[in-house]
Amino acid sequence: MTRRLTMKRRQLLATGAIGAGALTMPRLALAQSDGPIMLGTLTPLTGVGGTYGPSMRDAVAGVIDSVNSAGGVLGRQIELVSEDTQTNPEAAVRAARKLVDVDGVSAVIGTWASSVTTAVAPVCWEGGVMVYTVSGSDSITQLPHEGYIIRTQPNSQLQIEVAAQFMVDQGATRVAWIGPQTPFAESSIAILGDVAGEGGASMDSLIYEADRTSYRSEVDQIMTGDPDFLMLGGYAADSTVLLRDLFQAGYEGKIIGPAYAVNASVLDALPNDVVEGLFTWEGTPDVTSGAYARVQEILGVDVVDPYSAQTYDHANLAILAMAAAGSSTGADMRGGVRTISQGDGEIIDNAVDGLAILADGGSVNYNGASGPCDFTRIGDITGTQFLFRQIQDGQPVDFETV
Amino acid sequence: MELIPQLLVNGVLYGSLLALPAIGFTTIFAVLRFPNFSVASIATLGAFAGWVANVPLGLPILVAVVAAFVISGIVGVLADDIVLRPMRPYGALTTAIASIALTVVLENMIRFGFGNDLRGYDLPLVRDWRFLGIRVGPQQLENLVLATIIMVLLFVFLRYGRFGKAMRAVADNPQLAALKGIPSGTVTRLAIFIAMGLVGVGGILQGLGTAIDPLTGFRFILSIFAAAVVGGLGSIPGAVLGAFVIGIGQELSLVILDPTYKSAVGFLAILVVLIFRPEGLLGEKRQ
Repeated sequence: MTRRLTMKRRQLLATGAIGAGALTMPRLALAQSDGPIMLGTLTPLTGVGGTYGPSMRDAVAGVIDSVNSAGGVLGRQIELVSEDTQTNPEAAVRAARKLVDVDGVSAVIGTWASSVTTAVAPVCWEGGVMVYTVSGSDSITQLPHEGYIIRTQPNSQLQIEVAAQFMVDQGATRVAWIGPQTPFAESSIAILGDVAGEGGASMDSLIYEADRTSYRSEVDQIMTGDPDFLMLGGYAADSTVLLRDLFQAGYEGKIIGPAYAVNASVLDALPNDVVEGLFTWEGTPDVTSGAYARVQEILGVDVVDPYSAQTYDHANLAILAMAAAGSSTGADMRGGVRTISQGDGEIIDNAVDGLAILADGGSVNYNGASGPCDFTRIGDITGTQFLFRQIQDGQPVDFETV
Repeated sequence: MELIPQLLVNGVLYGSLLALPAIGFTTIFAVLRFPNFSVASIATLGAFAGWVANVPLGLPILVAVVAAFVISGIVGVLADDIVLRPMRPYGALTTAIASIALTVVLENMIRFGFGNDLRGYDLPLVRDWRFLGIRVGPQQLENLVLATIIMVLLFVFLRYGRFGKAMRAVADNPQLAALKGIPSGTVTRLAIFIAMGLVGVGGILQGLGTAIDPLTGFRFILSIFAAAVVGGLGSIPGAVLGAFVIGIGQELSLVILDPTYKSAVGFLAILVVLIFRPEGLLGEKRQ
């Protein structure tokens, strides 16, 4: 006879509420750790950033393999510990705690979403561990990190200024920003508003909830202002839903979105009509560099996404910083980074060459796959190129570089 | 304010998509007395099963919907047999927690097979129709009609068919039903099959209007749960009513709330129901 299960309704509802909440809670990843110098990657292997995380990790693994083959750094081998942020700050904090407290990594490489980086950075700097990030939010490098954060991605202020100017130059008169709640949503709206105002255009904005399955009503709301140029502020999954809804609503104006939000999988998932004429922009890797060619080889691809190019640089910078500082602690590496990333040293594009020069008492200036990799006092890059593309027949076509 | 009629229409369309998985969720609760959160991944599975039928195999959407129903139903029954049934003797809370673990495992199995990329169905996307200033998408209308037909068929099947009576008997008192010669194990499995099949159809209908990825079902699990609670856990008509209350409530909330707080409407609805009518709008009071 089966045992009858009963649960009081209130108890059940409470369970249900806990259950629904628990579903949104991230899951702890497991990894083993031992070995000499530990480097951690904390990339989005799942969640909305899951498209990028695996290759970001692989680029770091490629650098570590080549350095280990050449004898390692500080006379020790390097071991990689890879964790998944799940593109979720809560999961990322737990993973960061493991990397810092259990694995004892010297640096955490590759945090992608700004909300994730904002959440994990204090865990890292309090544990004396460097963070190398590809997140764009302005607020990240303004945190009191005391030199523990290095960012290779142009900050959102620079990104939005460039794109806003592009919109005005393309003749926009009624611009609008629409995107989810992120650490850069408010600042993006403010910057776009300023640039649009200077260019004589009106400005409207709407912040929506991420992870919805439909944005029909949000589209209806933003279209009441009759915008003629829309900037998307979200990621790939929500932008796909939004672009469909905009098309169905009969929106005829122009659209621009960051390349990470209108990426290849979005173009594959949407009919060509929906994305025809849409603009994208991104900080572009230095495709002419030797470092870029090396990332192509590591990943076995023709086109390297900007984030994998950046994590390749992160790994090289971290290893060279250790060598320059003569130590693998985060506190010492902080000072070491800028001595090998900029200045009058010999220009190099990989850690193996750099380690040899440093061992001979020379100085180096690392120029990487993502660009020159020169950093300001607070850890921002000093400059980069932006590539604008336009979608034609479902394919991105280069439009202009600024 | 001029947006209200449009928001109402959007709410009805969204509610119709929520209704099928909410029916599935509440049916399982009616028979087994625990909230089965694996519906999140089963909805995703339905969406992917339909995608495989529609895109790689090139079958029409209606066939894809049937494929979503069958595959989700089968996996739902198997997952219940293998994972959840052994947990039931340990209590409903344990089983509910196991269902969360199950949904995580299923989600990652889908991710392992299909990757994280977004996928779209082979469907022409057309501009919405406009009537009296209100826009309605042909695809959304098709979804509404399809969901309505399925709900009517289900109602007739459960209300007038022998299975419906047997299921209600098992839900009411499995021991008594067994004494009367009703094979409660078979009835339970069939109920899970139909419920999970409906959840899978909900997943594919959701995907038809957007694009799918391994998080498709996860994105609307809160709304499904809220719909089932508001309507009255265990009540199928209640789940339908709850789905429309949540759907319309979330869309209409834009009039007074920032779009950022849309999901809060679901939590708010659960809270209001718990305070004023714990059994839900159409639920029965239980001791």
